[in-house]
Amino acid sequence: MADTAAGPGGSGTRSGSKQSTNPADNYHLARRRTLQVVVSSLLTEAGFESAEKASVETLTEMLQSYISEIGRSAKSYCEHTARTQPTLSDIVVTLVEMGFNVDTLPAYAKRSQRMVITAPPVTNQPVTPKALTAGQNRPHPPHIPSHFPEFPDPHTYIKTPTYREPVSDYQVLREKAASQRRDVERALTRFMAKTGETQSLFKDDVSTFPLIAARPFTIPYLTALLPSELEIQQMEETDSSEQDEQTDTENLALHISTEDSGAEKENASVLQQNSLSGSRNGEESVIDNPYLRPVKKPKIRRKKSLS
Amino acid sequence: MPPTGIEPSRMNRKKGDKGFESPRPYKLTHQVVCINNINFQRKSVVGFVELTIFPTVANLNRIKLNSKQCRIYRVRINDLEAAFIYNDPTLEVCHSESKQRNLNYFSNAYAAAVSAVDPDAGNGELCIKVPSELWKHVDELKVLKIHINFSLDQPKGGLHFVVPSVEGSMAERGAHVFSCGYQNSTRFWFPCVDSYSELCTWKLEFTVDAAMVAVSNGDLVETVYTHDMRKKTFHYMLTIPTAASNISLAIGPFEVLVDPYMHEVTHFCLPQLLPLLKHTTSYLHEVFEFYEEILTCRYPYSCFKTVFIDEAYVEVAAYASMSIFSTNLLHSAMIIDETPLTRRCLAQALAQQFFGCFISRMSWSDEWVLKGISGYIYGLWMKKTFGVNEYRHWIKEELDKIVAYELKTGGVLLHPIFGGGKEKDNPASHLHFSIKHPHTLSWEYYTMFQCKAHLVMRLIENRISMEFMLQVFNKLLSLASTASSQKFQSHMWSQMLVSTYGFLKSISNVSGKDIQPLIKQWVDQSGVVKFYGSFAFNRKRNVLELEIKQDYTSPGTQKYVGPLKVTVQELDGSFNHTLQIEENSLKHDIPCHSKSRRNKKKKIPLMNGEEVDMDLSAMDADSPLLWIRIDPDMSVLRKVEFEQADFMWQYELRYERDVVAQQESILALEKFPTPASRLALTDILEQEQCFYRVRMSACFCLAKIANSMVSTWTGPPAMKSLFTRMFCCKTCPNIVRTNNFMSFQSYFLQKTMPVAMALLRDVHNLCPKEVLTFILDLIKYNDNRKNKFSDNYYRAEMIDALANSVTPAVSVNNEVRTLDNLNPDVRLILEEITRFLNMEKLLPSYRHTITVSCLRAIRVLQKNGHVPSDSSLFKSYAEYGHFVDIRIAALEAVVDYTKVDRSYEELQWLLNMIQTDPVPYVRHKILNMLTKNPPFTKTMESPLCNEALVDQLWKLMNSGTAHDWRLRCGAVDLYFTLFGLSRPSCLPLPELGLVLNLKEKKAVLNPTIIPEAGASNQESLSNPGCHAQLAGFQNPFSSSQDEEEVDMDTVHDSQAFISHHLNMLERPSTPGLSKYRPSSSRSSLMPQHSLGCDIIPATKPQWSMELSRKGTGKEQPLEMSVHSMVAAPLSVFAKESTSSRHSEHHHHHHHEHKKKKKKHKHKHKHKHKHDSKDKDKEPFAFSSPASGRSVRSPSLSD
Repeated sequence: MADTAAGPGGSGTRSGSKQSTNPADNYHLARRRTLQVVVSSLLTEAGFESAEKASVETLTEMLQSYISEIGRSAKSYCEHTARTQPTLSDIVVTLVEMGFNVDTLPAYAKRSQRMVITAPPVTNQPVTPKALTAGQNRPHPPHIPSHFPEFPDPHTYIKTPTYREPVSDYQVLREKAASQRRDVERALTRFMAKTGETQSLFKDDVSTFPLIAARPFTIPYLTALLPSELEIQQMEETDSSEQDEQTDTENLALHISTEDSGAEKENASVLQQNSLSGSRNGEESVIDNPYLRPVKKPKIRRKKSLS
Repeated sequence: MPPTGIEPSRMNRKKGDKGFESPRPYKLTHQVVCINNINFQRKSVVGFVELTIFPTVANLNRIKLNSKQCRIYRVRINDLEAAFIYNDPTLEVCHSESKQRNLNYFSNAYAAAVSAVDPDAGNGELCIKVPSELWKHVDELKVLKIHINFSLDQPKGGLHFVVPSVEGSMAERGAHVFSCGYQNSTRFWFPCVDSYSELCTWKLEFTVDAAMVAVSNGDLVETVYTHDMRKKTFHYMLTIPTAASNISLAIGPFEVLVDPYMHEVTHFCLPQLLPLLKHTTSYLHEVFEFYEEILTCRYPYSCFKTVFIDEAYVEVAAYASMSIFSTNLLHSAMIIDETPLTRRCLAQALAQQFFGCFISRMSWSDEWVLKGISGYIYGLWMKKTFGVNEYRHWIKEELDKIVAYELKTGGVLLHPIFGGGKEKDNPASHLHFSIKHPHTLSWEYYTMFQCKAHLVMRLIENRISMEFMLQVFNKLLSLASTASSQKFQSHMWSQMLVSTYGFLKSISNVSGKDIQPLIKQWVDQSGVVKFYGSFAFNRKRNVLELEIKQDYTSPGTQKYVGPLKVTVQELDGSFNHTLQIEENSLKHDIPCHSKSRRNKKKKIPLMNGEEVDMDLSAMDADSPLLWIRIDPDMSVLRKVEFEQADFMWQYELRYERDVVAQQESILALEKFPTPASRLALTDILEQEQCFYRVRMSACFCLAKIANSMVSTWTGPPAMKSLFTRMFCCKTCPNIVRTNNFMSFQSYFLQKTMPVAMALLRDVHNLCPKEVLTFILDLIKYNDNRKNKFSDNYYRAEMIDALANSVTPAVSVNNEVRTLDNLNPDVRLILEEITRFLNMEKLLPSYRHTITVSCLRAIRVLQKNGHVPSDSSLFKSYAEYGHFVDIRIAALEAVVDYTKVDRSYEELQWLLNMIQTDPVPYVRHKILNMLTKNPPFTKTMESPLCNEALVDQLWKLMNSGTAHDWRLRCGAVDLYFTLFGLSRPSCLPLPELGLVLNLKEKKAVLNPTIIPEAGASNQESLSNPGCHAQLAGFQNPFSSSQDEEEVDMDTVHDSQAFISHHLNMLERPSTPGLSKYRPSSSRSSLMPQHSLGCDIIPATKPQWSMELSRKGTGKEQPLEMSVHSMVAAPLSVFAKESTSSRHSEHHHHHHHEHKKKKKKHKHKHKHKHKHDSKDKDKEPFAFSSPASGRSVRSPSLSD
């Protein structure tokens, strides 16, 4: 676009940037200086006699961004069409996309008052230091096309196993299992003892044999009688499924009665039906037990209900 | 059977063969119990009962019922208000001011108090007056309906509430309530005739929260919601006539399980325990089948219920058509040890359904028949279920128990006969309690009584054969079931009551055999037989000369005359000989069948027909005798000490197939620590066919022998290599195999062997290091992951083994026990205990067996001086809220600590717990443990023995335990153990003056007794002779009362009265001459004096009424004083019951005043109707339960 390119121009002294010792910085500095020259000449071309340093810098930045964007975008278009080298059409499309009227370009390029700028000094492209390589990279196996990236350095994938023969000795296994369990138990109980209240057998020493303090239960028989969950699982596996079904129907009546403790009167009929169905199930398994029979509704007696 | 043989048992029966004669002037036919409100929060119960009775005499004007604790609001007979008094002398046995602290006195007074309310004597705490309007009705012997409204508030006995303090509704919390008690204790929760001999039909109604289930006797007819649908009413009908004492109740949020095999059987358990219930009861139907088969009789009730509840009073309680079990009997399929125990409990309960619930007893002295039969058929079930070995082992165990108990205490009498209540006939003068009532019996005695009863049944079986025995049972049952289906009017119900007489008659009818000698020996008489046997072999005559001596002079023994079986194992076989044990024949010659011929190699035939090879090198070359057994069938209740050579015992152990013989020889071999004994025991241990219990006891014997042989013992410690071979890995012998308990026999052996091994000691009397390491390794390598069963009992026993290995610490200058000077071995042990105990908190074991073992082990370490002796750990574990097994173990340790450290503080702590703990079983158990392991005894000086303690214990048994018979008897036992029968030695001498008045009073009452009383004064306190004298003057006394037209009940009261006075006289310091002190000194009426009278009103209102009537005329100062004590509560009654007597009224007020001045505690006396004349018309507006304590009702719950 013309107006973009024909921005206000003006010459100005470029402030020297810090001398850098870095070759990569030198490279970038050289390019930038060229850009500054371009900006300055364009300013001159546009009739500026002088320009503030800050405005030149800003314009340089803008130009740099513009050019960078063209490059980036062109690269994208070229990759989009599965190429690695951008062609002219990529650039054109890019420019069009950026809202630049390409047709004005040849005229602009051939304008009379243009200044010719010398090419930037050739500085060496900075060399990225080579990564440390260890050993020979493995060649591709035959089924991998050669254009695929190479294998990384061997040290990233080569492993050196350092295992011993698995222990199969019974004695050692038992020994190990025993001491592991013991260690776990001891650690666990010590932890529990440390974090909770303890009792001690020795008045002078509370830490060597810490006993977790005895805490009464509200329902002591449950912990004492019920097997642990693991054990229950085992038991259930052995239980026949028939028995389970049976108790389900058996408990139905009871459950109903438990649930309806707070039930209101309007629920009563529903409950009645439920418990009736419960008893029907009971009949199927031919169990007539008074405790499974439904709970009867009270006989309606006016006197009582009034009171 | 000729009737002559029956004479003795008829003595206490008024009407021999017709059987039962009710002690009551009426007959109960039906009772309604209705509990309409149960409040778990307040632990209260409100309800009513209605008894339907038929008078049997025309002039029935008072009805006595049993009731304790209940607050009675109102009594109506046929809808007419009836006056009643409530009077319970057992609340406070001896009235308080007495400085009498001797147990003789207490026991007599207690027995008298129990008699005074004994339903079997027609008495009761509640006396209801039949309204005069009904007298005509009564004269026509027409039916009376007694309606009693009552409530119970925080009952201390009879009904037990379990209310866990967690969040949620009562049902969610698992709150429940159940009836409990020792013998007839139903009166604790509703008014009734609390006798096993008064049968009636029942209607039971319980209104409970809708989430709860009420389980009671008989058939559940229906369940009906209340109008608000929040509650349900359970209606039960029991149409089989049943005694009130067999009525029970359990209410809770139970899970219901219908028995899959028998649909009329229902099981109940607390929430979450259903899987356990399923497993536990899955076996019950087999027990049913067994009993029904052997009795050839169907289970008598139409249904059966088992309820498993927490905080049980006893593990098993049988009631009509239901049994209440401890929830701790429930177990899963993974538990080995509990399974047979629980099954035994179930079988016991069921046996009692037939005999005990369905068939009841006529009187207390017939109790042995019921306990005997139920115990006997339970034994038959044991034999069938667990095998003959287990059965014989059990019989032997029971026999040993009863023998030891009888020898210790002086005898257990199955069938006490009380001829006319004379003290002279007291068959149990060697005991510190009366055996006249179940409620005065020591619990231990009662347990032993049951044990003896079933053993005697077995003796009868031996005599008449099992077939006849079962026929007799069948006959009793069929008679009863015929009777049970009859109407009341047929008067057949008494057929459901068994009596000693009826039972014996049945036996003689069925078997035609005369078992009278047997009955006389074991039932009518107490004591066991003690045989000493030795022998010599007479080679010339080829005769075994057996000498059998008896000890029948020591307490608890009796002389045995009759046949005795002796089994002699000779080379040619086993031969039975029956010897006649007679008065003076000690020696018995038994011809031998075989010559000694050890050279012939021939197999030796055994008793069971088996022929075995034996290595005969050990035996005496001259004798063909291998071993001799006396009474091998245990057909005498005896203890046998028999002498035979060690090799004979060894042969007996190896080759006799009877487990009892094996057990006996193991016991005998303890005295022969020789390599041969060692070998015999080791062989038995290894023998797989051998009964596991024998092998287990062989372990302990081996340990003992090894200790005796310690200097000559060679090889590894006893049993170690054996254990290694049996239970350790082949490749690495120091590691035990992973647990596999599929074979129960080896499981039990595996458990026991280390425990026995830990008892081994080296020459320094220390447990060998090798053994300790071995046990520690067993613990370390224990691996239960692949086991089908839980290993909690096994691990617990390993801790027991560790505890067994502990030996007393070597103490230098009584240094204080600290961690630094801890023995390294003990440190290892302690390490294990700590870990186990801590792991229990995270992964608790079944019934906390491991915690229990750990606590015991810690106490052992303390006792042996390794760990500072301290009770605080145990006290924390003894708190309410721990599992009961843990609590008992901890309490046991505290009891032991109390004894060893003589700690007053701990003793107080225990005593406090006895009074306050919520669980009756725990309270009972503490007393029991204190009695077994007392802090001091009567023969011992102890700083703990002081007056305050005496007072405390006295109070405990006098009034503190009135709500629980078992507890009170336990307190009596403890008191006896600590102080003996006479006045505790630590008490200061009593003041003397008081006694004088008593004597004078006596003189007034009956001058003839004075010389005798003086004589008795000289006698030693515990001399039973005192009783004889007491009885001597009792008769004139009561006859004099008869002249004053006192009814028969007076007998008891006069008994109490006299025994009281006699005990006063028995005081050692009472000088005999004081009896002539002038009567004027009476004016001061010292506490003791009035106390003497106290018993009278307490037990016998009528009589005191008579006295008061008489007193006005007679002007006897003493009578007046009696009156003063008595009339207050009673004159009102008298006034009401007869016509009003104004003079009486004056007296009454006067004395009431006087009474207050003397600060007498008539707590339980009735004041109601004091001014009832005025209020008679007024309806009973104040009888509402909500109004708190009714003015007229006794406040008994304080």
